[in-house]
Amino acid sequence: MSERLNQSCAVASDPDFSSTLSRVSAEVLETMFFDEPVAARCEHSWISSAASVRLSFEGSHRGEFLLSVSPQVARSIAPAFLGIEADEVTGTQASQVLLELANILCGSVLSRLWPDSDLRLGAPEPIQAAGSIQPATLHECFLLTDGMLSVSIQMYGAEPE
Amino acid sequence: MGFSVLIVDDSPAMRGFIRRVMTLSGLEVDTCLEASNGEEALERLRQQTVDVILTDINMPKMNGEEFLRRLGSEGLARSIPTLVISTDATKARILRMLSLGAEGYMTKPFSPEALREEMERVLGAKHV
Repeated sequence: MSERLNQSCAVASDPDFSSTLSRVSAEVLETMFFDEPVAARCEHSWISSAASVRLSFEGSHRGEFLLSVSPQVARSIAPAFLGIEADEVTGTQASQVLLELANILCGSVLSRLWPDSDLRLGAPEPIQAAGSIQPATLHECFLLTDGMLSVSIQMYGAEPE
Repeated sequence: MGFSVLIVDDSPAMRGFIRRVMTLSGLEVDTCLEASNGEEALERLRQQTVDVILTDINMPKMNGEEFLRRLGSEGLARSIPTLVISTDATKARILRMLSLGAEGYMTKPFSPEALREEMERVLGAKHV
């Protein structure tokens, strides 16, 4: 098994990391997106039609953060975040809110996981359907009011201190 | 009497959210200027001053750190308090931004009430 996979497995199996990912994601969604997420069993049949955003991060830790939301969630989070009616939301606004959601989730989760780290986040970028979730990835799924959301962190190993 | 604010963030969605939570929190904003990076923000400030600046860190062209440095070197940091709003809650980052002259540092997620409290502290009661 490669060093990268070893480190990813260690992170993914750590209950503290999993708990932080779950808690911080829920806090972000409740506080800024006015939804009430419920941790859900990871059943990923919806992922193939999901809207997904990827962010890379580097510095004291390196890896990728992946956000996927089901199509209904992609449409419903923008009006909640911007405080406007659903029929007033443009496609551009919906995309921008999804990118911002990924940015907030990624930054919040990573800096809570590693408060003493020095991290640089890349720009969030929309990607085609994420496909399957990679094994050895820190991952959680949530049920929101209008559908599903998943967050994943794939570690590429730590740079030397 | 309300106050004037400059929101500096490369995300139009985040700028919209901040405008929204300022309204929700009951803050009286007379003028709300926006810029998508530090460079744009400096240009706006050369044309019109504001009571407070809210700035992100990760932005293209000129990020929040460089923006704070430039505010200091151009003598604007003393007259306009700056509040950093970022997802980055790492200790090193917070200390670095405060050492560059930021009056406060808010981490996302934040509630309308938290934004109000922090802006009241930064601005002083006369403005809010």
